[in-house]
Amino acid sequence: MELKSACRMLLFPIQMFYHIVRAGLLSLLPSSKKDLSKEVILITGGGRGIGRHLAKEFAKQGAKKVILWGRTEKCLKETAEEISLSGSECCYFVCDVANREEVYKQAKVVREKVGDVTILVNNAAVVHGKSLMDSDDDALLKTQHINTLGQFWTTKAFLPRMLELQHGHVVCINSILSQSPIPGAIDYCTSKASSLAFMESLTLGLLYCRGVSCTTVLPFHTNTEMFRGMRVRFPQLFPPLKPEIVAQKTVDAVRTDKAFLYLPWTMHALVILKSFMPQVALEEIHRFSGSYTCMNTFKGRT
Amino acid sequence: MSLIVDLLLMLFDVTYSILCAVVRTFLHPRLKSIDGELCLITGAGGVLGRHFALEFAKEGAHLILWDCNTAANEQTAQLARKLGVEVRTYTVDLSKRQSIYETAERVRAEVGDVSILVNNAGVVAGQRLLECPDELLERTLLVNCHALFWMTKAFLPQMKARNHGHIVTIASALGLFTTACVVDYCASKFGAVGFHESLAHELRAENHYGIKTTLVCPYIIDTGMFAGCEIRKEIQSLIPPLEPLYTAQQSMKAILGEQEMVCIPRIMYIPFIARALLPWEANVVTYRFMGGDKCMLPFIKNAEMKTLNGHMKSSNDAV
Repeated sequence: MELKSACRMLLFPIQMFYHIVRAGLLSLLPSSKKDLSKEVILITGGGRGIGRHLAKEFAKQGAKKVILWGRTEKCLKETAEEISLSGSECCYFVCDVANREEVYKQAKVVREKVGDVTILVNNAAVVHGKSLMDSDDDALLKTQHINTLGQFWTTKAFLPRMLELQHGHVVCINSILSQSPIPGAIDYCTSKASSLAFMESLTLGLLYCRGVSCTTVLPFHTNTEMFRGMRVRFPQLFPPLKPEIVAQKTVDAVRTDKAFLYLPWTMHALVILKSFMPQVALEEIHRFSGSYTCMNTFKGRT
Repeated sequence: MSLIVDLLLMLFDVTYSILCAVVRTFLHPRLKSIDGELCLITGAGGVLGRHFALEFAKEGAHLILWDCNTAANEQTAQLARKLGVEVRTYTVDLSKRQSIYETAERVRAEVGDVSILVNNAGVVAGQRLLECPDELLERTLLVNCHALFWMTKAFLPQMKARNHGHIVTIASALGLFTTACVVDYCASKFGAVGFHESLAHELRAENHYGIKTTLVCPYIIDTGMFAGCEIRKEIQSLIPPLEPLYTAQQSMKAILGEQEMVCIPRIMYIPFIARALLPWEANVVTYRFMGGDKCMLPFIKNAEMKTLNGHMKSSNDAV
């Protein structure tokens, strides 16, 4: 036992070095992508925004079936029709992920009518976008229920079958605000931080399940209706991301089994800075970059 | 032109604050006096909450103790009263928003304005995600994370009016990095950290410099909450579970020194920084090496046994 321990201790720095070098190389070289032709993909919040683009991208990259969940039937119908026209199978169901019973009920309906979901994309999200004292209590709770608890319920609904089949993928569209909060979006930052922990803990819990992987995507401000009106100080230096690009990079990450993806890659610098800089220093950087005032012009979805 | 001036000022301020922080780490900061201040502690009936109550009482602060367990709360109050401060107890269910608001009203009417708020109460479901009843998962989030919203909304206005106050969030090392089997707890603690940092930024953006915030992230504490949790044997002796008294004392140093964030023990800063610097696969190697992938398994088993024994006991009672 002692020899085994000693060997593991020696192996540790070698493994660390190997993974650091491998990560560096992988970011430069293209990697093999898994085939999506047998995958049944369910996207929450699939009717608009990033969800809509994700559905289109998955269909484009050859997914067998795409299922959309959302609260607004009109958007879901439009997106489903657009994807069906392009030749891929796409259907929708109205489901509010904040409602636990509805999630379980609709999951059963999906299983019966469409089949086993093999890729679950937790994308549905809302933001209230006001300071804590100005926020309505129910609105604060709604954000927590859709952004965080919704993921608990959808994962509980679909993960058991993925584990049985030893084949599946859980994807989460998170946000850089989970790691680097700003004023004016306290509900969103809290819920996204919780959701990130959920995904990270799940990823660690599934380490020994070979067939089931997880991917978490943390994009910077993306140009969709959800954060309409938000304005950083240097939009030329830090332009908002295009949702099509976020969708494309997400699908690529899913196909290469990448666990965590920051978009753009420069967000890594922000996270590193935040991990060692004192709060006062961060405050100065936030003030300079306009993060403290960017939510003042926030309008959100109509 | 003004942009360049702004940029230079920013770089100067950033460098200055980093230097101040470095100096502060080596020199002992001046600890503020909280004699006569009114301090509210949630979860005061628990092991850590009790230590906090006694530490605050030693500094001369008057106490408001909140807990769902009336008996344990009263015991803490009795011990604190011996140190010569005024103590009031209230039985509150932090998972209910109305309970928090109503009790906060009572505190305002019966005692006065709270100037130090210590959000210490915490629960854990103790079961894996797929086996855990949904109500328990939700409860962890309600108590550890959502309660912070209501507590802050209830007590911040008074602090803002006087531009004087201190909000302390007792999160966890599991609020900075996660582990398997305790998804609900990690999600709630990450949420608490995200909430606290958002709040801190909001207060600074609104220039409320009189209201301080401190985020405490302790490693696993030997209170029985995570009984059974064990990292790799060889490392367990180097990083054993923390003593509750030590945790409370180190937290007090940070609070009285108006430190924005503290990791206990300080070695926790290393995984916190490594998580940001290293690629995910390297972090997983460290995680496995430390025995993190197996550390919660005995804890889950313990919790399962307790539930089973509980069921057996109640069926005996029925007979």
